[in-house]
Amino acid sequence: MIEVSHFTKRFGEFIAVDDLSFTIDRGETFGFIGPNGAGKSTTIRFLATLLRPTSGEGRIAGHSVVEEPMAVRKVVGFMPDDFGVYDGMKVWEFLDFFAVAYEIPRDRRRTIIGQVLDLLDLTHKKDDYVNGLSKGMKQRLCLAKTLVHDPPVLILDEPASGLDPRARLEMKALLNELRRMGKTILVSSHILSELADFCTSIGIIERGRLLAAGSIQEIQRRLRSHRVLRARVSDESADRAASILRDHLSIRSVESFDHSITAEFEGDDDDMARLLRTLVTAGIGVVSFAEEELSLEEVFMMITKGVVN
Amino acid sequence: MMFRENPVPARELSVNLRSPRAFALQFAFVSFLGAVVYFAWPKHVEAGRLVGTGAAQNLFNLFFLGQYFLLAILAPTFAAGSITGEKERKTYELLLASPLKPSMILFGKLFSSMAYIVVLILSTLPLMILCYLLGGIALSEVVRAYIVFFFSAVTFGLLSLACSSYFSRTSSALLVSYLVILPLALVCVGLTRTDPAAEDTVTRDFISIAILPPWCLAIWTIVTALVTRRLLRPPDVGSEGKEVVDEEEEMKYAIGVVIDRDLFPDKLFAPAKRNDLMPDGTNPVLDKELRSEIFSQGTLMLRVVIQVSMLLSIPLMAVFLFWKPDQASNYIAYVIIFNMLVGPVFSAGSVTGERERKTLPLLLTTLLGPGRIVWAKLIAALRVSTVLTFLLTEQLFLAYIFVPQLQAVFWRLAIDLLIIAVSCLATTSIGLLCSALARKTSVAMIMTYLFILILFVGPVGAKMYLERTVDSRIDEDRIEVFSVLSPFAATFSLPEASSDESRGGASAGASASGANAASSWMIVGNVAAPLWGVFLAFYPPFCAVLYGLTYLAFRRRWWRAGIE
Repeated sequence: MIEVSHFTKRFGEFIAVDDLSFTIDRGETFGFIGPNGAGKSTTIRFLATLLRPTSGEGRIAGHSVVEEPMAVRKVVGFMPDDFGVYDGMKVWEFLDFFAVAYEIPRDRRRTIIGQVLDLLDLTHKKDDYVNGLSKGMKQRLCLAKTLVHDPPVLILDEPASGLDPRARLEMKALLNELRRMGKTILVSSHILSELADFCTSIGIIERGRLLAAGSIQEIQRRLRSHRVLRARVSDESADRAASILRDHLSIRSVESFDHSITAEFEGDDDDMARLLRTLVTAGIGVVSFAEEELSLEEVFMMITKGVVN
Repeated sequence: MMFRENPVPARELSVNLRSPRAFALQFAFVSFLGAVVYFAWPKHVEAGRLVGTGAAQNLFNLFFLGQYFLLAILAPTFAAGSITGEKERKTYELLLASPLKPSMILFGKLFSSMAYIVVLILSTLPLMILCYLLGGIALSEVVRAYIVFFFSAVTFGLLSLACSSYFSRTSSALLVSYLVILPLALVCVGLTRTDPAAEDTVTRDFISIAILPPWCLAIWTIVTALVTRRLLRPPDVGSEGKEVVDEEEEMKYAIGVVIDRDLFPDKLFAPAKRNDLMPDGTNPVLDKELRSEIFSQGTLMLRVVIQVSMLLSIPLMAVFLFWKPDQASNYIAYVIIFNMLVGPVFSAGSVTGERERKTLPLLLTTLLGPGRIVWAKLIAALRVSTVLTFLLTEQLFLAYIFVPQLQAVFWRLAIDLLIIAVSCLATTSIGLLCSALARKTSVAMIMTYLFILILFVGPVGAKMYLERTVDSRIDEDRIEVFSVLSPFAATFSLPEASSDESRGGASAGASASGANAASSWMIVGNVAAPLWGVFLAFYPPFCAVLYGLTYLAFRRRWWRAGIE
């Protein structure tokens, strides 16, 4: 659905984005993460047809971002990271303005505006002036304007930035709802824990270069040469459990402390299931048994510190 | 205390004086005045011999006028944006919350705005001394001129700062500053300038030394009190800022003119807000500009503009349309000057405003092409500017109904209205082009004013200048051709009504002065055409070219180039 190939953008001598390539499939939610100044917004603005590339190409729903900007704008809903609103307009007028700008006929506009207001929980604000709305409401309004032409692709640059915790949770719920509606979403955010909850894949960018892309699990596997198992067993069987694990072929090392055991494991999910069965069959009181996953923050910190390279 | 412990002037000066723009402006200022002196310099000045009093006075007078004119134009460009700039950069509240007293902030802003003007004035001192060396000018004359400059500059600066504290946008502050300052400057220069023909220099000196300073001091006191009170208890920050302007509430407390969207002529420039969705085929940008954004910052600016222009029009109408109808062109000149000031406000900020308010990325990612956006911006700005300007033509219609001398030249009313309409088109087109080229509204406004001054005032000013410099080194005929660019030249080229009431009737219409008639015709190819005709024929295609350039600039610079 979204394809970026060898995108490079220079501002004078400064290289903002360097030979960036990635693909996002239909229905995917792609989290675009990176430190400030990494080139996220430049890439997003390029895909939103606002920026000409120095070199490279981008395609959205089969249309070239460079050659067919109008066709791309029809299928993309874009929400910038820092945006303003038109003074002196009411919420419904603001949405009507963008609906007309997206060439939606009048007989469909009333229904669409009503639906979008409902979805974004803005119906009670429809007669309020947009410049009097709170920051969170303005973010919702901008998302509403992004959806007004029902685009299959959403490009959202920091949609939750500057929001209070409640508004952030509400925004997250909204994005989940949009994902369920089948939208392909490219979203950048600094709040990594929230991205991890609903992104099907991520791309990590630093200094204009893509350091890693794929599902979070794939990237974790690439970061670690082995998987880490964490088990908690009943007090009296801790030593015996550690001994069984040490003897197992798929275990590289075992550390036990109190009644918690951490083991480096080499194998697939079936091997892990067999290992659990071995422990249970041996009469070990297993309280919990799970793979320890890296959080997105840990992945991000490891990658952007150059661990991958 | 006011200066040593005040960080405002240090910060402002370091920003203002370090910029390449400051150097370029100083270069242009001194070059312009240098050119004024050079081309007016008497041709036959022998070494060691003084020229006659008349030539030296003439040169000195030109220099004084040139410098005063630039002072009145430049002072608001520095001061009118100094507080609105803080509001636009969102640093206003930080500044007000600092331990700095309002008087220190005001002084700092005034000092930094005026310091550069003082540098400009001082940098022309060698030119003034050149005039002095020609002989015939007393040292007291030079000192008197600088006293007038000083008091005028500070007054203009303070008035601009007052406007800056009352408005939230630089464009509004700049416009209202000009509307207040230019009439004051005209009065001041009329009372204090050095006229070689005038023998009564005592009255002029008395006005310059004894009347002007106390009046200026009174204005300084009142303005300082008003601005410091506003800075101490600012009604335009935090929740008091009232981001949503309630038009009805505002109208309840409006003094003088009240704008009602449902009534004629107000609905011509501010149509009523919509109660329902836009019809299909509407240009949403045009609709938004006229119905929503026009009063987004309140109606204060428009109300001030309408009231000041109407107030000024009353004495001008009395003098030039009823008392001396043979000078009706002067009233048309006033209407054109008003449009020169007002026109750019609605066009020069139309693209830069979207960028500054961060709505441009939203607009540019819709299906609206650059052509529709630019066209909507042009039509919206043209409509507002034209309606406001034509409000001042009511007086013309009255005069043509009641004054017999004007009835005799009734046809010139139509031509004058066309000249005004074409001027509106030109000022709006130029403003829109500058808005597509610049990054900030304040820069676009200044670019526009400069461009309009060069086109509209430049040819007339150059001609007047050459007429006053007997020994000119420039061929007057070469300059004459540029008169077609000026609406002032166009309206003054029309035959005036007779001043002799007894003649009246048809003969009055034919009594154009000889000098006027001589400069009324242009040779285009082998055909003689009236100057006003060439003016009217020149501007529409010229504005079409400007529109084309605006489209290209907008498309290349914003629509497809990206917003940083």
